[in-house]
Amino acid sequence: MNLVSERLTADDYDDAIELFYERHWTDGLPVVLPTPRRVQALIDYVKRDPQESLGAIPPKGGAATIEKLAINAVMGGCRPEHFPVVIAAIEAMLDPVHNLNGVLQTTHMCVSLVIVNGPIARALGINSRDGVFGNGYRGNGAIGRGVRLALWNLGGAFPWDTDKATLSHPGEYAFCIAEEEEDNPWAPLHVERGCAPGSNAVTVFACEGPHSTFCYGTPEEMLHVLTDTMCALGNNNLHVLGETLVVLNPLNAEEFAKRGWSKDDVRNYLWEHARRPIADVRACGVVHEQFRKMERDAGRYPHRWDLDNPTTRVPITARPENIHIMVAGGRSYFAAVLPGWGGFGGFAATRSIR
Amino acid sequence: MIEFLSPVWPERIDARPPKKRPASLEGATVALVDDNLDIPFTTHLEQLMTERYGAKVRRLVKPSGTAPSPAPLIDDAAGADVAVVGIGL
Repeated sequence: MNLVSERLTADDYDDAIELFYERHWTDGLPVVLPTPRRVQALIDYVKRDPQESLGAIPPKGGAATIEKLAINAVMGGCRPEHFPVVIAAIEAMLDPVHNLNGVLQTTHMCVSLVIVNGPIARALGINSRDGVFGNGYRGNGAIGRGVRLALWNLGGAFPWDTDKATLSHPGEYAFCIAEEEEDNPWAPLHVERGCAPGSNAVTVFACEGPHSTFCYGTPEEMLHVLTDTMCALGNNNLHVLGETLVVLNPLNAEEFAKRGWSKDDVRNYLWEHARRPIADVRACGVVHEQFRKMERDAGRYPHRWDLDNPTTRVPITARPENIHIMVAGGRSYFAAVLPGWGGFGGFAATRSIR
Repeated sequence: MIEFLSPVWPERIDARPPKKRPASLEGATVALVDDNLDIPFTTHLEQLMTERYGAKVRRLVKPSGTAPSPAPLIDDAAGADVAVVGIGL
């Protein structure tokens, strides 16, 4: 067995768990013990060299080797078949566009959401329906927590140290959902992002927790509510653009599709109408203004919006494609809006599950 | 007896030892690492250190305030008597 990690022993399970707490090797909850047998089972399943590294996890730079990822995945409750999803999620997070270093340490309260697409989601029991952001499903919980523990133990951004999130959100423990692809009239997220239909993929996007959006009725009525929620003054997007995520429930999507709206039609409408007058935005204060100026000076804020013109309506993203739309949840009255970190990073990145 | 594996890597001890803290900023070279976030604050700090305390300030601007400094910038800052880092916002 080619495992290089330090081997520890304890008299019993209770002592072992306490050791994890003492050494800050857990996020505040108990863990499944990463015994050599459990860890080896995950490595055997993916048939990869345990010392292969996907890269360094910021900020401390611990190498994300297959072995270390397997240890943390076991701790989070993963079975061997969950492990390829954990690996793909970490690969996606290490894409430079995601700026994981910033996401893990910003004062903003974004957390990288793991979105699973493809038949593997159903096969692994990853929930995409009622209560999708909630509890009750091992796939969501174990994959989500396995990923978070890997970031915790290899990256070492702790809330008492360099993780400066002012408030953060509960997704720090686990933040993993699947897209509902069967009860969905549109192409799923990963196909829009270039993956083959029927393939398995993970998309990560750093965002706030889901904002409940009472969204029911005609397309125009649903869009009226969604646009208002998306351009709330507290969102980073309104000040420094970036990307945002809208989760429509299957009934919402069905209503749009029945009346001839494609996903791009919805996206374009949201982009055109989720805007605020510059006076509203200016009233937020000098710090917001300074951010906007900084983004413009850095060339990240498109000049076609004249910020000195009082009639300008400020968009939440630079282009429609930066509004991600997916389908999940129960067939009901609610959608969700998950604003991103803004122009600083956390952007969506997609990787195939191997 | 239960055996299990460590989820972390051993602590790396490859940091350079800190330089001796200067008694005064007068004449000292100061690397002011500009995070490219709070520019007015950083400018004010630069003026204070230069005009009030007589420091020789070199302002090193990071390409992004939300990503780590490039290695050459870190090496550059390490060559000064004093480095101001982590201003943020």
